[in-house]
Amino acid sequence: MERFLELVIASVLLAGLYATMAYGLGLIYGVLRIVNLNHGGMIMAGAYAGWYLHSEFGIDPYLALLPVGTVAFLVGMGMYRLLVHRLPRGAAGGVQSLLLLFGVWLVMRNIAYLLFTGNDQTVHTTYATRAITLAGAQVSVNRLAVFGVALATLGILHILLTKTYFGKALRAVAQNPESCTLQGIRVDRIYALTFGLGTALASVAGLLGATLFPFNPSFGAAELLKSFVVVVLGGLGSVAGTAIAALILAAVEVFPTAIPGFPTYLTAALGFVLLVLVLVLRPGGLFGQRVLG
Amino acid sequence: MAIALRAQGLSKRFGGLKAVDEVTLQLAEGQILGLIGPNGAGKSTCFSMLAGSTPPTAGRVFLGETEITGLPAFRAARAGVVRTHQIVRPFANLTLFENALVAAVQCAGRDHAGARALALEALDFAGLSARQHQYPAGLTLAGRKRLEMARALACNPRVLLLDEVIAGVNPAEAQEMATLILRIRDERKVSIIMTEHVMAAVMRLCEQVVVLDAGKLIASGVPREIVQNPEVISAYLGKKHEH
Amino acid sequence: MSLPPWISRRALIGLGAACAVLAVGPLLHDNLYLHNLLTLTFIGIAAALAWNWLGGYLGQVSFGHAAMFGLGGFVAARGEISLHLPMVFAWIFGGLVAGAYALLWGHPTLRLRGPYFSIATIGVGEATRLVGTYWDWLTGGSSGLSLPMHPNLKYTLYWYGLALAALALAASYALRRSSLGLSLLAIKSDVDAASDVGVGAVRLQDLVLFLSGAMMGVCGGFYASYFSYIEPGDMFGFDRSISWVLMGVIGGIGTIAGPALGAVIFVLLRQYLIASYPQLYLGLYGILLVLVILFEPLGLTGIALRLFHRVRPDLSVTGVAGED
Repeated sequence: MERFLELVIASVLLAGLYATMAYGLGLIYGVLRIVNLNHGGMIMAGAYAGWYLHSEFGIDPYLALLPVGTVAFLVGMGMYRLLVHRLPRGAAGGVQSLLLLFGVWLVMRNIAYLLFTGNDQTVHTTYATRAITLAGAQVSVNRLAVFGVALATLGILHILLTKTYFGKALRAVAQNPESCTLQGIRVDRIYALTFGLGTALASVAGLLGATLFPFNPSFGAAELLKSFVVVVLGGLGSVAGTAIAALILAAVEVFPTAIPGFPTYLTAALGFVLLVLVLVLRPGGLFGQRVLG
Repeated sequence: MAIALRAQGLSKRFGGLKAVDEVTLQLAEGQILGLIGPNGAGKSTCFSMLAGSTPPTAGRVFLGETEITGLPAFRAARAGVVRTHQIVRPFANLTLFENALVAAVQCAGRDHAGARALALEALDFAGLSARQHQYPAGLTLAGRKRLEMARALACNPRVLLLDEVIAGVNPAEAQEMATLILRIRDERKVSIIMTEHVMAAVMRLCEQVVVLDAGKLIASGVPREIVQNPEVISAYLGKKHEH
Repeated sequence: MSLPPWISRRALIGLGAACAVLAVGPLLHDNLYLHNLLTLTFIGIAAALAWNWLGGYLGQVSFGHAAMFGLGGFVAARGEISLHLPMVFAWIFGGLVAGAYALLWGHPTLRLRGPYFSIATIGVGEATRLVGTYWDWLTGGSSGLSLPMHPNLKYTLYWYGLALAALALAASYALRRSSLGLSLLAIKSDVDAASDVGVGAVRLQDLVLFLSGAMMGVCGGFYASYFSYIEPGDMFGFDRSISWVLMGVIGGIGTIAGPALGAVIFVLLRQYLIASYPQLYLGLYGILLVLVILFEPLGLTGIALRLFHRVRPDLSVTGVAGED
């Protein structure tokens, strides 16, 4: 029973990270109809940024969140204006934007490899190993903090998307860009801002992830896949749907570790198995939003 | 008269919303049936269910004596029920001839020569054979609507479901389109159900009209009666507050 | 003899002539380096074309084809080692297993269109690599598998490779020009509209996926025989999957012979450029992808078409069907 509780807590805490990670991918797809394959690259970049600031300047990873997120936001805007913006919109741009952003990802991985080698890195904070007892289970302080930041991020996003002019404009553009142009909304600007926001979320998730796991330049590939699983499961745009989907994925990954002799390398395959099951059983996604073409 | 297509108690729910509610209708062989109603009445959903693109929640569909309920769209098309789309969907990467050929090869079986002849004939019928080697991007909206019809005809359908093929084109083109629809019925012996916003066209082309409102069938009859039916008028013009 | 209408006499003669030259070539020179490079090119051509059947004709870009390549390679190797199958039969066996495996993950995932399918294939590739790395019984784990050595086999495999490349090219041609190819293009353009005119998309997609996966498996088997030693990290590697994407993009996605040309360029590039700067290869791949997509999405074929002032909408790099 105690073990069960521990697993539940571990799932919930992990789900916070997964939801933050996935939201950026879903947001960009929901508004621009583009899958940001460089999502993995930005997750990796966020991880390295946090690690570098911590190991070189002793800046706490949690204090680095805001500056790293801001820089990533600007990078994302720039990437949109410089690259994505030039591609044809809609159907014809689908494969092109995919390959383009995939190319950017490869370049980023190579840069990280040249700067920091291919070795695994970890962020060692003073509180990395500290734990508190929560309802009889040992819980890492750092994991709790990651969860707290993730919750706060999603909360701010929710308010941003539902209460502000930007949020309303963004949702309107996602629905129908043509009529937004007619209404005087600067659609291209919304696209750039959305791309920046999604990119910033990816880097924040990467930074949070770096405090939990070791990483190297190919960090982000598995995370891209997990984000994708969450988006397919949870549908687009709904914070609640994303959260539930993230929880499901986390539980599917966490619970089998309790089975004695379960090979850990299979954990990476579990997310994919879940994805295939959802596609077979509920092709419309768990909550019915349209993700499938 | 023989029945070409029959729908019985056809319903579609999306969550709590009844998009189409217990619609029963019959299309006689060689008839043109109009399916009209205000926006959001469920016409398109009705079409999708008849053509197999959306499985109905309840109800049955028969093509002649054969039940085709729940057949996927491609099987329904091969069986003889073919639809066009309100927003035209040409295959942009294929020539007009190839657009028609794709449809024809599914119906003429493995006989390549037969399929080519069928495709060419369908294009010719829709008045597009002079442009058969061009791509759809070069066509006007009316041209694309013709292509949509040519492609459907290349399936050799028994029943054609035309979704708003007249709306949006200029009056001269609308006239030609109406003539084309009549020719499809008379020369190719195809029975037709059409939805249309342009009332004049419905009045001129359809022998029978059924009216949908909020998913329910509220009236059916010859066009002259339908336009005088008070329930239909209130559905179109808006009701006085009843509750 | 009368040819089907979709076979052009010119293409047939050109292909025949090229094959003849390449087939007698080694008898006229004894440059082993060139011999080896050509053999590697053949296998690249066959694999890139097979990738293009799915990625180009159907518009479903796979980043995980190394899964089938690796599986086919290891099954073929096991077939030779444990079942004592003759080499070519072992390749075919590997191909069939790889094709079946492609169906296993692909049948459900092909419901996803465009980018989403592509991400799923990243998952397939990674999951397969992990399982392959730890599945000692099939792959020998991280120490890999060694095949029995035959003297002269490596030299002889040149002609097998040539035959494989020619077969893949002929299949590409047939696939593209037949009514099947037409239906695939229609599905790529708009899967729902295609269904509405009687195209049974699911079966056709599965068929193409199987063919593509099986050809990949055969290539993997060939690779195993050629190097007589294979290990999972290399066979299932992500780089391998990317290399076929790159060959397709360089040559022209969705064109009949473009990926073959792309394979030639790619092998040369790797041999001369990347061998000198091994730490830069991922970035170079990435820059190439970005440049081609930004400036000439149809790759070399696009440049050629431009030179001859021809517009070919049938080659448009359409992705997500029916959207927007």
